[in-house]
Amino acid sequence: MLDKEFNEEDVLMRAAQGDRDAFGLLYERYLDRIFNYVYYRTGNLHDAEDLTARVFQRAMNHIKNYTDRGVPFSAWLYRIAHNLVANWHRDRSRRQEIPINDVPILPSKGDHPERNLVRSQEESTLLKLIRRLPPERQNLLILKFVENMSNAEIGKIMGRSEGAVKSLYHRTLLSLRDQIGDQHISLDNE
Amino acid sequence: MNKLKTKLSDDQIDALEAHLAGTLKPVTPPMEIVQRLRSRIHFPERQVIVLRLKDWQRMLLVFGGVMSGMLVMITVARAFFYLMRRHM
Repeated sequence: MLDKEFNEEDVLMRAAQGDRDAFGLLYERYLDRIFNYVYYRTGNLHDAEDLTARVFQRAMNHIKNYTDRGVPFSAWLYRIAHNLVANWHRDRSRRQEIPINDVPILPSKGDHPERNLVRSQEESTLLKLIRRLPPERQNLLILKFVENMSNAEIGKIMGRSEGAVKSLYHRTLLSLRDQIGDQHISLDNE
Repeated sequence: MNKLKTKLSDDQIDALEAHLAGTLKPVTPPMEIVQRLRSRIHFPERQVIVLRLKDWQRMLLVFGGVMSGMLVMITVARAFFYLMRRHM
């Protein structure tokens, strides 16, 4: 509905002029994507909710400063999310860690309900390994697999060239392969 | 040996990507979270926003129409008074 009736440029212009309804449309468009990003970066439903709210509150307060200099609005939002998640990790490291096994699993889009109930041991282990990667590698994997973005789009968000993203992706796969080997997970396709 | 360790075969890449695609899937935020977020940021429902924006567009059209009509009336009135003054 949003895509058919509203042009994002117009909506952005109005939101920048303080139109809350226009910003509401942007919120509707990006809520799922930002929530997904934050959820996978925190692995914590409660904090994902809190951080998602803070991303949109911060975006609403600073949208006047947003200018499209080759960086799409979505990239701007992801950068806000990235900064808030980084602060969250820093604060959390000062407090106690939440055991990774307590992470609630949300249903995936398009999955059979029964499939959602049980995530295989391998997937849980892989999630653990992903969360141990450096933040920029986690970002890359989340944007690539959860958000289905191309290397060029990821580059805009991460402030890197397409080639640099490709190279980082390759290094990330190498590092994951080695860690998977240590965890004795089978890499065979079913 | 080292060279082997820093290279990935196509099969390994495919297998890793299949595992990652199976693990990192888009999730749907629970409805209660969406509702809580909406009320926390004080956003109305999507339908309400769309209706309001439509109303706003309609108001703009009506305002534009009224202003244009007034301009036409003023122009006609001015022309009428001008002609009247000339005849007198």
